[in-house]
Amino acid sequence: MTVLSFYVVIPLGGAFLISLLGKRIKSSGDILANLSTFSLLVFSLYSIKLVFINKVLVYNVGGWVAPIGICMVLDGLSSFMLVTVNLVSFLVTLYSISYMERYTDKAKFYTLFMLMLAGMNGIIITGDLFNLFVFLEIASIASYALVAFGTEAEELEASFKYAVIGSVASSLILLGIAILYSYTSTLNMADISSVLSGKPQSILVNFVLVIFLTGFAIKAALVPFHAWLPDAHPSAPAPISAMLSGVLIKVLGVYAICRIFFNIIAASHKAFFILVVLGLISMIVGAFLAIAQNDIKRMFAYSSISQIGYIIFALGIGTPLAIFGGLFHLFNHAVFKSTLFLTSGAIEYSVNTRDLRKLGGLSSRLPITGYTGLLGSMSISGIPPLGGFWSKLVIIFAALQAGHFIFATIAVLVSVITLAYYLKFQSYAFFGKLDEALIKIKEVPLTMRLSMITLGLICAISGLLCVPAFKPFLQSAVSVLLSGNAYKDAVFNALIR
Amino acid sequence: MMWRVDILSSYIAAFIGMFGVLVVIYSIGFMKGKPRLFWYFLYTFLTIITSIGTVFANNLVLLLIFWGFLGLLLYLLINFGDKNSNAVAKKTFIIVGGSDSLMILGIGIVYLLTGTFQMDKIRLEPSSLSVIAFICLIVAAFAKAGAMPFHTWIPDTAESAPSPVSALLPASLDKLLGIYLLFRISAEMFIMNEPMRQSLLIIGAVTILAAVMMALVQHNFKRLLGYHAVSQVGYMIIGISTGNPIGIAGGLFHMINNAIYKSCLFLIGGAVENKKGTSELDKLGGLSRVMPVTFFCAIIASLSISGVPPFNGFVSKWMIYQGLISQFTVHSSQFTVTKFVIIFCLIAAMFGSALTLASFLKLLHAVFLGQRSYRSTVNRQPSTKIDEVNSLMWLPMVVLALLCIIFGIFTNQLPLKYFILPSVKDAAFIGIWNSHLATLLIIAGILLGFVILLLGNLSKSLRLDNSYVGTEIIPSENRPSGAEFYNTIKEFGILKGIYNKAEEGFFDIYEQGKRFVFFISGILGHLHNGVLPTYLVWCLLGMMGVLYSLLLK
Repeated sequence: MTVLSFYVVIPLGGAFLISLLGKRIKSSGDILANLSTFSLLVFSLYSIKLVFINKVLVYNVGGWVAPIGICMVLDGLSSFMLVTVNLVSFLVTLYSISYMERYTDKAKFYTLFMLMLAGMNGIIITGDLFNLFVFLEIASIASYALVAFGTEAEELEASFKYAVIGSVASSLILLGIAILYSYTSTLNMADISSVLSGKPQSILVNFVLVIFLTGFAIKAALVPFHAWLPDAHPSAPAPISAMLSGVLIKVLGVYAICRIFFNIIAASHKAFFILVVLGLISMIVGAFLAIAQNDIKRMFAYSSISQIGYIIFALGIGTPLAIFGGLFHLFNHAVFKSTLFLTSGAIEYSVNTRDLRKLGGLSSRLPITGYTGLLGSMSISGIPPLGGFWSKLVIIFAALQAGHFIFATIAVLVSVITLAYYLKFQSYAFFGKLDEALIKIKEVPLTMRLSMITLGLICAISGLLCVPAFKPFLQSAVSVLLSGNAYKDAVFNALIR
Repeated sequence: MMWRVDILSSYIAAFIGMFGVLVVIYSIGFMKGKPRLFWYFLYTFLTIITSIGTVFANNLVLLLIFWGFLGLLLYLLINFGDKNSNAVAKKTFIIVGGSDSLMILGIGIVYLLTGTFQMDKIRLEPSSLSVIAFICLIVAAFAKAGAMPFHTWIPDTAESAPSPVSALLPASLDKLLGIYLLFRISAEMFIMNEPMRQSLLIIGAVTILAAVMMALVQHNFKRLLGYHAVSQVGYMIIGISTGNPIGIAGGLFHMINNAIYKSCLFLIGGAVENKKGTSELDKLGGLSRVMPVTFFCAIIASLSISGVPPFNGFVSKWMIYQGLISQFTVHSSQFTVTKFVIIFCLIAAMFGSALTLASFLKLLHAVFLGQRSYRSTVNRQPSTKIDEVNSLMWLPMVVLALLCIIFGIFTNQLPLKYFILPSVKDAAFIGIWNSHLATLLIIAGILLGFVILLLGNLSKSLRLDNSYVGTEIIPSENRPSGAEFYNTIKEFGILKGIYNKAEEGFFDIYEQGKRFVFFISGILGHLHNGVLPTYLVWCLLGMMGVLYSLLLK
């Protein structure tokens, strides 16, 4: 199936063309970027149908049959992630058309953006562990550059920290892959899985798990590996913040952890319990730190740590309901966090500050931004009937069902703090008295509004993903994770077909 | 079955509809000229519909959805108020929304224990898990209804939100829903044991007393009403948690009665504020002459809330007392903790009524009687004549005041017969209360007094005069407004300390929670010093932790 390669080829080709033409032909960058992300979105939606018919699809790159060559694998989980990533990236590029006018050199921005997207789609679609590393580096390095895009002192510092800690993570991941290769003599994920299941559980595999967990936990910004995120995410331009918090940490961190822990190395209960604990710590620490922030984007960045905590917590519990809740929350978080970052971008665009103490009463001047911000905030705080409520509900029920009563209580209490800091955001930014100096501000341009409205609407209706009509989309992703070791059989069967 | 339509939910829904209509009518007059009216009415309609959905929901998750959505609507509606409303709305939604989160936990445990979300199929025996679920759900009910210690949003909201919003939500709809849920939980879904019952009774009694004590010393009309809105919840909690039919019936009836007179009072507060531009008691006074209709409604509602016969508040309080007393007789002759609690509740309830009356005397004096105040009209033209509010605004008040009278005098014929007794089985009165006879006697007494007044020609010897100090007429700035009537109790020994603490927000669960959260975030924020090597050390420590727990342990 050649279509599998499109997910990587389109953004890579887009990046190439934009860097070639962007400078010469005005607004070619806007058009090319939006065309590529839109076609990616269409192909991602098409992948749902492909997965529905074929379950698992394998594409051998260059005609070399796996495990000798590199293969690309599309299954329920990849399709789910592709939809999430490309949905957000399309709306973000739409938003960037007007927003990035604030910066010089849009062409470079789009080039980097497309590279990052190629990296993320590559991670999702690849069936080869080393290939995963390569894409991970493409996405990471592009994101280091994008964080520094404003080239002010603050942004450069953040990018430097991000690059150093990120490189530590990458080297750890590479080390893990090397050890695993020396142990199994293969790099194909399905093949590694089948070799490992033939051998007794050794201490080496557990050591590899530790290394992978650390590496990917840094990428996912789990506490205590999170410290780069609160600097990096706010420093980037708003559309990039939306991409970083919305999808990048999920693809590089959560998705990779899922794939490795569930499908490649069938990790022990102990390892999953570590995930639960890391998730809990992240959700608590992130929430406590978020409430004390006065910089909008910094608050959202800490909030991302907290929400990733929920996702990892749910995935670590590992029951079908919990995995469902975790992936559901992953989707919701991608949507509402990008809504919120785009909202903060709109505020910055109109008012030129992100300091909550200098804002107030904006909803009278920026009604659309106000309402999308409200939708995003209420969804992430878990107010019914918005999307975030449902995923939080499922996660808490799943934790109770698995017997984690205290953990469930903590998750509930953290959601109270979440509500508190999003109300702080709402109260300081949108309600209250409008400052005299802000009386003349205007609502943001059309494309930005369009993108925010679409995301806001998805926030409102994403709860529908758990009604029977739309459930198979999520359920097919859940069943991939639940199948565990059977992943390799599915891939091999698809190879023979 | 997603929905349940029984007598209780139907009549509560009917009352929700009635309050909704009255408040919308009132709002048309009250909110005239305010910005964003479309959204105001949209939120109000959504509130009414969602509330009706809540009482008909039979599925706990469905209930949760409506319940949580109401919190958001309340937040949005409060934001239409004065300049403080922004912070108040935030506080309200954190308390109410936070309790909704606990409700998720409670519902989760209930589902775990019973395997169903159907409210009418759940019947839980006390066990350690079910008690936790009970507490979680009770917290949600208490936060909505405004019982202690989750009450602190009510006085703030009452002061800052627009009056129709206060009349609609904290005064009537939130009470109806909170107590409705309390009834469903404590009388139907859970079988309560003695300690659970006693703790509820004590919470009820403390709520009555503490809130009414706070109400006594308030200087703001609407804030004072807010504290009474808290205080009255105590009666309903006591009534429902007695667990015997007459007490429960009394609690439910009090819920309706309270909603009637309390929203009437809030609408009166709104009317006064609308005309005078302030709700500070110090700046009001002598309005009875210019706002007779409002004054008439205020008297009736005040007497009702104080439990003076023959108005409706008396009847339901009387039923609650009966519930307590019959609970007292159920238990054997030994002196038990239960008896002690019941006696405490009885005393609290009676004291509460007396103090309520006292604080409403202060209110009536400060607002409607006493000398006219011109202070608040400084920013207006002095010649602006203050007159009665327009008919859109007084009509709802009059309807509610009439309901207070009707429900009091025709208790057995109307509310008890059609709403209350059918929804609570086997409620039987002990003691005698004949409302008609009592009413006749009271009217006879008033007439007698009137006759004496006429016969004795007392009215002619009455002299209306200015107040003097020495030989000087007291200027209106220095006139006694009545707001300080009970300030002496504020200076009284232990109470002084408690009042001071209360004003600092020491008993406010929100303030304390905020202090705790910001303390922790202060520590965590301090750790994030922005130095890269520190962060790398964290990663290393984290990795060592993972290594230790996965490999070495």
